Order: sequence, then structure tokens, then C-alpha cells
Amino acid sequence: MRRLLAILLAGTLGAAIACSSGSVPGTSSPATTLSVLAGSEVKDIEPLLPDLQKATGYKLQPTYVGSLDGAQRIVAGDRSQLAWFSTDKYLSLLPGGGSRIVAQEKIMLSPVVLGVKHSVATRFGWSNNANVTWADIAAKARAGQLHFGMTNPAASNSGFVALVGVAEAFAQSGSALDAGTINADALKDFFSGQSLTAGSSGFLATSYVRGQDSLDGMINYESVLLSLNQGSQLHEKLDLIYPKDGIATADYPLVLLDRSQRDAYDKVTAWLRRPDVQTRIMQTTNRRPALPEVKPDTRFPSQVLVELPFPGSLDVVNRLISTYLDEARPPAHAIFVLDTSGSMEGSRLDSLKRALLSLTDGDTSITGQFARFRQREEITIILFNDRVYQKRDFTVNDMSAGSPDLAAIRSFVNTLQAGGGTAIYDAVYSAYQAAGTAIRAEPGRLYSIVLMTDGENNVGRDGPRFISDYRRLPDDARAVKSFAVLFGEASPAELKQVTDTTGGQVFDARAASLTQVFKDISGYQ
Amino acid sequence: MSRILGLVLAGVLAVGVVVAIVASLRGTFSAQPVVTVSGVIGSEKQPFFQDPAVLAEFQRSGLNVKVDTAGSREMATTADLSRYDFAFPAGAPAALKIKTDHKAKATYEPFYTPMAIATFRPIAQLLAANHVATDQGGYYTFDMQAYLGLVARNARWTDLAGNTAYPASKSVLVTSTDYRTSNSAAMYLSIASYVANGGNVIPDDVTARKVTAQVAPLFLRQGFSASSTEEPFQDYLSIGIGKTPMVMIYEAQYLSLRASHDSALTADMVLMYPTPTVLSKHTLVPLKPNGDRVGRLLLSDPQLQRLAAKYGFHTSNPSTFNAYLKAQGVPAPPQLVNVVEPPGYEQLETMITGIDQLSKDGGTQ
Repeated sequence: MRRLLAILLAGTLGAAIACSSGSVPGTSSPATTLSVLAGSEVKDIEPLLPDLQKATGYKLQPTYVGSLDGAQRIVAGDRSQLAWFSTDKYLSLLPGGGSRIVAQEKIMLSPVVLGVKHSVATRFGWSNNANVTWADIAAKARAGQLHFGMTNPAASNSGFVALVGVAEAFAQSGSALDAGTINADALKDFFSGQSLTAGSSGFLATSYVRGQDSLDGMINYESVLLSLNQGSQLHEKLDLIYPKDGIATADYPLVLLDRSQRDAYDKVTAWLRRPDVQTRIMQTTNRRPALPEVKPDTRFPSQVLVELPFPGSLDVVNRLISTYLDEARPPAHAIFVLDTSGSMEGSRLDSLKRALLSLTDGDTSITGQFARFRQREEITIILFNDRVYQKRDFTVNDMSAGSPDLAAIRSFVNTLQAGGGTAIYDAVYSAYQAAGTAIRAEPGRLYSIVLMTDGENNVGRDGPRFISDYRRLPDDARAVKSFAVLFGEASPAELKQVTDTTGGQVFDARAASLTQVFKDISGYQ
Repeated sequence: MSRILGLVLAGVLAVGVVVAIVASLRGTFSAQPVVTVSGVIGSEKQPFFQDPAVLAEFQRSGLNVKVDTAGSREMATTADLSRYDFAFPAGAPAALKIKTDHKAKATYEPFYTPMAIATFRPIAQLLAANHVATDQGGYYTFDMQAYLGLVARNARWTDLAGNTAYPASKSVLVTSTDYRTSNSAAMYLSIASYVANGGNVIPDDVTARKVTAQVAPLFLRQGFSASSTEEPFQDYLSIGIGKTPMVMIYEAQYLSLRASHDSALTADMVLMYPTPTVLSKHTLVPLKPNGDRVGRLLLSDPQLQRLAAKYGFHTSNPSTFNAYLKAQGVPAPPQLVNVVEPPGYEQLETMITGIDQLSKDGGTQ
């Protein structure tokens, strides 16, 4: 007995010392960090994390990535200990994905629904009408009376969940979608109304606010729509439409990837599923509680939401995403503004070429296959150094490997040469002029500009001049967002000015590869 | 800093002393060394194996039991069992396969639970009006033959007569887990194949292949299904009737919530027993000698049996189970008469791979 006690003590003493050695003076218990691969949609949980740490001793350290990208990283052996996206179904369907899920526990719920401006909903007879169907929505879109935003299903879960729901509803089989029941015509009608795309649900909400006067609504998480309605950014509140034929709900499972962290995971999920924490999540994020004991409050409508089934095979899901990109959604027109100044000489120019070529060929990764140039896509490339060169236009009518359409892009890319100075603003402005001309010819496309530069502006227009010229552009050209790739010695401030002015976003290619960044940007095109 | 360390140590010391004293008072701590025993179990038994009272009871017999969870079929096929002392799947077919493959000498069946369908009163009443379910007073029975008829013509909820309760245009389907990995889905398949085979247990592979096409839509039309039984049951509890109007579960999942008066279970949530049904026999297969000790304790230790009742499991002594429910004010579950045996592991495998093949061929509608 005494000996045992001694051993016991020695053990606990050791443990106590081990614990204390990692602590910061003044704090009583050091936190153990758990790495989390997460979707940007769970960012709004961050305010709860200090309390989680206080209660459990675990500090969650999220790394945010796109949803399909995240699933791909996990299958490829990402070392994160946990994963937290709005759904884990795509991961479960991937070969080798299901077996990476050691445990999963749902933390909160949010259906993906359509928010429509109140005046538009009233005009359509949709306000307080529980009988609206997806077909009703598609009819208004086809008639050109409903213009909405939605995220890219290949990049973001809200678009993905919505696409699956809409396709299930249009299949009208009552059962889970299979390859034969994807109704491309109905999807085409529906998505003819899509005039805004985005790579994440947060970016979509911001873009909607910016362009709200020319839009009628957007498809997003109920939580995002409720939050916007509570805020003051909207000129007009959105009516939330829950189509009668069914919706799809995101369930935000916290997934354990690292088996050795089981105890930590159990503690973290137990805290997140505590009734008081669930209530707090509901109040701060507008998501429905996952814990059945905590009843959704009155911010949520009490009607029964019929949940549509989710496809049971990866093949069906991938075909659906391809159908969306190649047939259903308005085709894209991407304008690339590329810096070929002297500083790009050598390895930088090589990696730019690689990044562009990867968009034309068989990068067979999950994200690669959806990120590449798609059927019907228009691509314009504008090269610049101290001057802006004649733009080159390409059309992808045949995206199969080695097609003449893709070969034309490839051979152009292979001729790129570096030399000269850096006229960033002149180049971007010429892209806007090109966009304006293209929009007048084909108003139905989804336009975007990608600016890649490795230096600071040193020739031509300066920033203030660009902004005043941009402001004088016609509305439709001004609505085109610029996404800037920060590379080499480019100035973060200059690029942020371009993206802030135009409603785009900066992507940092100093740490990640240009190829990865171009893939990420394709989610926004 | 050193003061904090001192306080922490003092606290730890006090706890350590108490633990040691309690252990010595119980008289077993010093009598035999505690050995760690690790097992792989079906996820439905995880709450039981996480219960401090259960762990303490094992400790009293010198066992420190650690478990991982895995699907029953996974245990019988792909999982590496070499690092475990026992496997404890939820169903007999997988257990027998593990027993044969690992040349285990014995198996233990300490608990069982019938397969049941958790649903909502308006759904049960609607099904009763359409002669698919019968109100038995307090619970319902669910006519599997009539249900297979509905599935054969891909009936929607809106096709049911007098349906104002649930006007959803989706197919009438019982939600289950993934037939490829989970025991509860295999039990569901056992019931369906028995009915499809004219009221006989599937005796051989030829018959198994014959009924596959008939039972496949029960699973494939659901599309994505979860791999653990807890998941669709949680959807039933939290998302409710809109997502999961009917879900195939273990009776134990429902009863344990009823017995603990869990507010997740509302008055509207009722249980239906498929007719016929099968019993899921939780079968422990010892892989090493210490695993055998776990099996023997589960079968013989009265305290463990009482604790199992708390999780809704029937035990070898029915009075333990009924006494517990009675003490909690929960009516005893019905004595089921129409209970059939699942087919053999090989026949289940034949049907599962057959359904999987149909899924790949895309012929589910």
C-alpha cells in the first residue's frame, strides 16, 4: 500500500511538473493546442474559443481552407487533428475519406435557403407562403425576373449543399439522385438567374451587400441571411424562402482525425454540446442547435422543413458539379492580367506558366478537375510590363485533354517572356475596358479579372487615377471584381486598393504556390 | 509560480490519497495488479463503456478497459484486430465470422436488443390508416410485408391516403445506416430479406442473390447514409420529422433516453417494432485471455448487468432489465413474438456486395 502510494505520488508529481513546465507565468493551466482544418463558414465560432479553452484546457487552432480542398487534403494525409466544415458528406464519399473520420459529432445546424428581397417576394406572392417550390423559383429565374447570388459548389459548401438540394428536387424521383436523374435542363433554367458567384459564403454575403441594388436575392445559409437581416447593411430585408419540396441542411460536424486525441475530442465536443453553449451558439451565430434538448427559438420559422436526400455515390456528386459548371450555370469569362516585367524572369515566369498550364490540363486532383477552364468558358489574357499588350481571347468549346482550344492557350502561355517595367494600373484599367466591351456583347456571363504581379507600379497611371477612371466606368463593367495575386515584391497595399475598390480579394502567393492560388481563385470565377 | 505548483501538487496529492484509500477499502486494488484491456466495439455501446461506474466495476476486478469503435462489418473484414484483446460487434453474424477467423474458443452474448423503428405519432397514425402499422397501445407494430409493397411501387408520402400530417413528396423510406459498414443496417437487411424470401431465413447464396434486387431499393434510394447508428438517431432527435420520419434503431437507444427522462425525446416520439423483427445480439469475441475476462464479467457481474439495463440493453436475466425500467417509471417493452434469426454471415455478405454492385450500375430507381 505504502509503496503503491509512493509510485502514485511520483507519477502525479511528474505529471504536475510536466504540465507546469509548459505554462506561462501567471496562468494556472497551460492549454494544449489542437489543430483544426476548417471551413471559413465556422469562423464565427472564434469568439467562443477562449471560453472553450478555459473550460477544457484545449485551444483550437483553425486553418481555413475551401471545402472540397479540405476534403482532398484530409484524404491526402493532412496532419490536422480535427476537421470542422459545414458538412463531411463529400469527405465520407471520397475513397479513403470515410476511414479518416475517427469520430464525428454535429455541433449546429443551418439549412441552405433562398433569401429574396421583401418587395420581390411580395410581387411573386412568396412572402409568408409555405408552398413555394424550386420549380417556382426556376420559372422566375428563366423569365429573367430573379437574379441571385450563390457560391461555387466546387469551392464552398453552401453552394454545394444548395446544388445538391436543387438537383434532388428537380429529379422528382422522391429518392436520392443518381446519374440518370440529373435534370440538366431544369438546372439550366434555375441557374440562368445566377448573376453573382463567390468562393465562400462570407464573400458572397459581402458581395451581395455591395451589389444589392442590381440583385434580387441570394442562396446562402439561413444563419448568414438572418445575420444580414439583423444588421444595417441591407437596403431591403430578405424574405427567407424554404421551398416546400425540400431543402438541405448543413450540420457542421466536428470530426476527429487523429485517433490519439480521442480524450481531447470528447472534452471539446462535450463542451460545445452543453445546453448553455448550444444556446449561446444559436444566439450569436443564428444557427439552430444540434442538441435536441435545446429548442430553436422564435428567430427560426416553426414550419417542418422537409430534408432532401443526399447522393450516395461520389460519381453522382462529381457529375452533378460538372453539370453545373459546364452546362447549368452562366458561363464564365475570366480576364487574366499578367505581369511579364523584367523581375519575372526565370523561376517566377516558369511558375506562372505552370500555374496557367495547370488550368488547361489534367490536374487530376479533386480541386484541380473543377478548377480548370471549363466548357463554354471565355478566357482573355492581357500581358503587361511598362506597357499593356494587345489582349488575346480564347474560347473553350472543347475541354477534353489535348483539344485544339486548350492547345491554343498552352502554346500562347509557352511564348511568355519577361522584360521591362510594371504598369499595373494601366493594365487593370485596360482589363475593365475589355470587360465592358465583352459584357455589351454577352451580358449573361459571369465576369472576373485576375491580376498577377510581382512588383510595384512604376509606369503609367497611379492608384488615385485608376480609382477615378474606374468610377467613371459603366455600372456593368464596374461590377466586375478584380482578384489580385500577391507575388514576389508586389505591394500588398496597392493590390488591396485594387480589390477593395472593385469588391474582390487579395490572394497571397508568397507562401503558397501560384498553381494553388490560381486554383483557389477559380472558386470565385 | 512555485506557489501555484505547490497548490496544484497538494491538490493532486489529496486526490491521489483518496483514490488510493478508496481503492484499498474496496479490497481489490492491492489484491491484484490492474491490467489494461483494449477492445473494439460497435459505437452503440460506447456510452456504456464510457460510464465511470462501468469502468470502476471493471477496475474492481483488476481490469482497465479501453475501447475504440468500429462498424461491425469493418471488424469482421478490414479492421486490424491484432492490437485488441476483444472485439464486441453488435450482431451475431459478424461475431461468428470474427470467431472463425481468429480461432476464438468461445463467445459471450451478455446483452441483446431488438431492432425497432423510431418515428413520430402522426407518422405512425398515418401508416396505421394505410394498414402499414398497427397501434398496439403505447407502441406500434410495422408490417414489413406491406412496407416492401410500398417500396416496390416507389410510393411517396403524398401517395398515402388521407395524408395531411406529412405532405412530403419524397419516397416512403425507413432511414438506416450504411449497409456496407454497419450492423444495424445488416439487421434491417436480415428482416427485409426474410420477408422478401416469403417468410424464410435466407438459407444459401443462391437465394441471397435472388432477393437482392428486391431489397436493394430500401438502401440505395436513401442515398447517403451514415456509418454509425447514433448519427441518424441524432438527426431524428434534433432535425426531426422533416429529415428522418422513420429511423431503424436499436430499441436500446430509445429506451435509454426514456429511462433517463431525457428531454430530447418528446411526447410525439414513438417506437414501432417491425414485424417480424430480429434481435441484435451483442456478442463479445475474446481475442486474447484478458478479453475473455471482460466477456465473463459482462455475463456474470450483477452490477454490470444493472448498468447495462441503464443503457437499454436486455440482459440474460430479464428481471434486472424490467426492474430498472420500472424504477424509472418506464413501461416494460413488449414481449415480441415475431422474432426471426438473421441469415449467416456469408449470405449477408452476398446481399451486401450485390446491393453495392447494383449501386455501381446505377440502377436504383
